[in-house]
Amino acid sequence: MIRKSLAALSLAVAAPLASAQTVSMCVFDVIGANGDVYNLVKDYALEMKAHGVDFELKPYTDEGVAVGDFNAGQCDAVAATDIRIRPFNKFTGSISAVGAIPTYDDLKTLLATLAQAKAAPLMKDGGYEVLGIVPAGAGYLFVNDRSIDTAGELAGKRMATLDYQKDAIHMVNYVKATVVPSDITNFAGKFNNGSVDAAYAPAFAYEALELYKGIGEKGGIVDYPLAQLTIQIVARDEVLDDDTAQKARDVAWGMYPQAMNLIQGQEEGIPDEQWIRIPEKDITGYQEMFRENRLEMRDGVNNAPSVYHPKMMSLLSKIRCASNPGASECTAANRE
Amino acid sequence: MISSLFSYMRACPSRLRQTATAGAVLLLAGCSANPIYTTTGVVLSNYSESEATPYVMQMSDPKMACALGEGVDPLMYSFSRVTSAPDTTGSLLMLLAANCMEYRTWEAELDYLRADFSGDIPAAKDAREKAKRLHAQTAKRRYQAFQRAMAAYDFDPSAEPLECPFLFSEQDELTFLLGLLTGMQAIVNDSNSGAMAGVPRNIAPQAERAAQCVDNEKWGGLPNAVRALVWLLLPDTRPELAPDPWQVLENSAELGVQTGMRASHALQAVAAETFGRPQVLADAIASFAEADGRIEVWDEYRLVDEVARGVVTFSSDKHWTANYGHRTPKSYFGKMSPERSTENVETMDLDGLL
Repeated sequence: MIRKSLAALSLAVAAPLASAQTVSMCVFDVIGANGDVYNLVKDYALEMKAHGVDFELKPYTDEGVAVGDFNAGQCDAVAATDIRIRPFNKFTGSISAVGAIPTYDDLKTLLATLAQAKAAPLMKDGGYEVLGIVPAGAGYLFVNDRSIDTAGELAGKRMATLDYQKDAIHMVNYVKATVVPSDITNFAGKFNNGSVDAAYAPAFAYEALELYKGIGEKGGIVDYPLAQLTIQIVARDEVLDDDTAQKARDVAWGMYPQAMNLIQGQEEGIPDEQWIRIPEKDITGYQEMFRENRLEMRDGVNNAPSVYHPKMMSLLSKIRCASNPGASECTAANRE
Repeated sequence: MISSLFSYMRACPSRLRQTATAGAVLLLAGCSANPIYTTTGVVLSNYSESEATPYVMQMSDPKMACALGEGVDPLMYSFSRVTSAPDTTGSLLMLLAANCMEYRTWEAELDYLRADFSGDIPAAKDAREKAKRLHAQTAKRRYQAFQRAMAAYDFDPSAEPLECPFLFSEQDELTFLLGLLTGMQAIVNDSNSGAMAGVPRNIAPQAERAAQCVDNEKWGGLPNAVRALVWLLLPDTRPELAPDPWQVLENSAELGVQTGMRASHALQAVAAETFGRPQVLADAIASFAEADGRIEVWDEYRLVDEVARGVVTFSSDKHWTANYGHRTPKSYFGKMSPERSTENVETMDLDGLL
C-alpha cells in the first residue's frame, strides 16, 4: 500500500515535467541573449511553461539566419520582426504597413483585437501559426538636415533602405529619393558617416547605434511614425494545439505593457530638440499619401509589390477611423 | 588670492579670529566645512589611492573586496562634500560594490533556472523578478563606476576624434580599463533588468574606441577583448581590416593566461552566451579551468583574476543548473556534462576473490 502510494506520489511529482512539451525557438535580437527582445521572450517562455510548453530559446543576432534556421527545421518556432514574418503570415506581416498605425493607442487596439480567440483563424496561414505579437516601437525618419521636413524634400536624397523590405523600397522610390540598399547591421554606419542623407529606425537605434552622430548639428528625427515594428512569434502549425496556441497569443498580449515601457523609455531618452515636429496640415497630406501607396501595395498595381493583406488594411482603417472619425479616409470611396 | 582672502574675512570674521593659526587650512575648506573634515578627506583619498587600492587589488577574496566597496564607498564619497570627489578610488569602490550586488543577482538567476528546471513556475517567476530588480541595482552601480572612472581622467568618451587620457601609473591604466569594462557590464545588467536602470546604450561604442588607449598585451588582451565584444554587438564598429572577433577573443584569452589575469576569458564566456555559441562557451570554461594548472597569477592584480573566475564559474553554473538542476560540481569545472572521467579505467578480475 505504502509502496503504491509512494509510486503514485512520485508519478504526480513527475507529471508536470513529463507533460511539458519542448519547443525550440530561434530568437532574433540585435544584441543577442542580453538584449531587450530576448529578455521579453524569456518572460514569455516562462509564462508558457505554466501552460505546459517548454520553449528552448536560442539567440540570433542576424535575423536572416534566424528565419533561415527556422525554415531549415533547426527550430520549431521563430521570433522576428514582422517584415521577416510576412512569408509565413501575410495578414500579421502587414502590421508594419507604411503609415497605417499613427498612434500607440491604435496599436494597442489592434493587438487586443488580434489576441481574441475569434481572431485565431487569421493567425494561421500556409502551415504556420502566429503565437504572439509584441510591439518593438515605431519607425521614424532620421535626417541629416532639418530642412528635409516634407516628403517633397526627400526627392534626390539618398536613403538607407532595408534591401528585403519591398514596401519601403517602393515608398522611397515614390518620394523620388534614392534607395541605398542596407541591412540592420550597416544602415547606421552609412547614416553616421554621411553616405546617406536619411534612414529609418525605431527609437532604440538613436542611442545604441549612435544615430545622433549622423544627425549632427543640422539634422533631426521626424516625429511621425512611418510604421509600427512588431516582434512576432511564428511556429509550424502542428507544433501547438489550437487551445495552447490561443493561450500563447494571450500571454504575448499580456506582455504589451512591459514592451511599451521599454519603447517609451527609448523614445523619452531622445532629447526634445532632436525631434522635428511637423504641422498638422502636412500630416493630413502624408496620411493620404501613405494610404494611396498602401492601396497600391495591397493590389499590386502601378508597379507596386503586392505585400499587404487586404483584411489587415481594412482592419487598420477601421481602427484609425474609430479613433479619428473625422479623417477624410473614413468617407473616401476607395476606403481600405 | 588677496581679494578672496579679504572677502573670506568679511564673510566669516568670528571663526577667523578663533582659528587664526589654521588660516591656511580654512582657506582650503571654505566657510561651511570643518577644516579637519577636509584634511581627513584629502588624506583618506590619497591613502586609498596609494595604499588601500594596491592592497585590495592583490586580495584573493572577491566577496570580502566587494563588501569593502559597499561599506567604504559612501564614507569615502561623502568627502566629496568637503573636497573634490575622489573619482579614481571612488570608481573602484563602486565597481566592487556593484560586484556585491551582482553576486546576489547570480544567486537569484540560479534560483530561477533551478525552479524552471524542476517545473516550479511560481518560484521561477519570483526568482526571475528578483533577479531583474537586482540586475537593475547592479546596472546603476556599474554605470556610476563607469562615470567616475571617466571623470577621474577627465576623459570624454563621446569626443571625436578620440583623445586618450593621461594615465600616469599602471594603477591608472587598470582603473580606466576596468571602468570601460564596467560600463559594458552595466548595459548587460540593464538589459537583463528589462531596462529598469536606463543605462545609455552608447557606452558600448564609446568603450570600443576608448579601449584603444591602453596597451593590449600588457593587460592580458582585455582591451582587444572589449573591442571584439563590441564588434559582435555592433558590427558597424569593426574596422575593415580587423580580424574575426571570435579569433580576437580566443587570442585575448590566451594572452590573459600568459599575463596572469584571465579577465578576457570572462568576456569570451559572456560573448559566447550572448551570441548563442555553446561550443565557444564550453571551450572558454574548459580553457579557464585548464589554465589553473599552468597560470602564474599576476600577484598585484590577483583580485581581477579571481573576479574573472567568478564570472566563468557563474557561466558554468548557469549551464549546469539549466540542464541538470544544480550548479557545477567542483570536480566537473571545465566540463559541460556529468560524463564521468572514470569510465575507461582498467579494473582487476575479482573472480579469485569471490
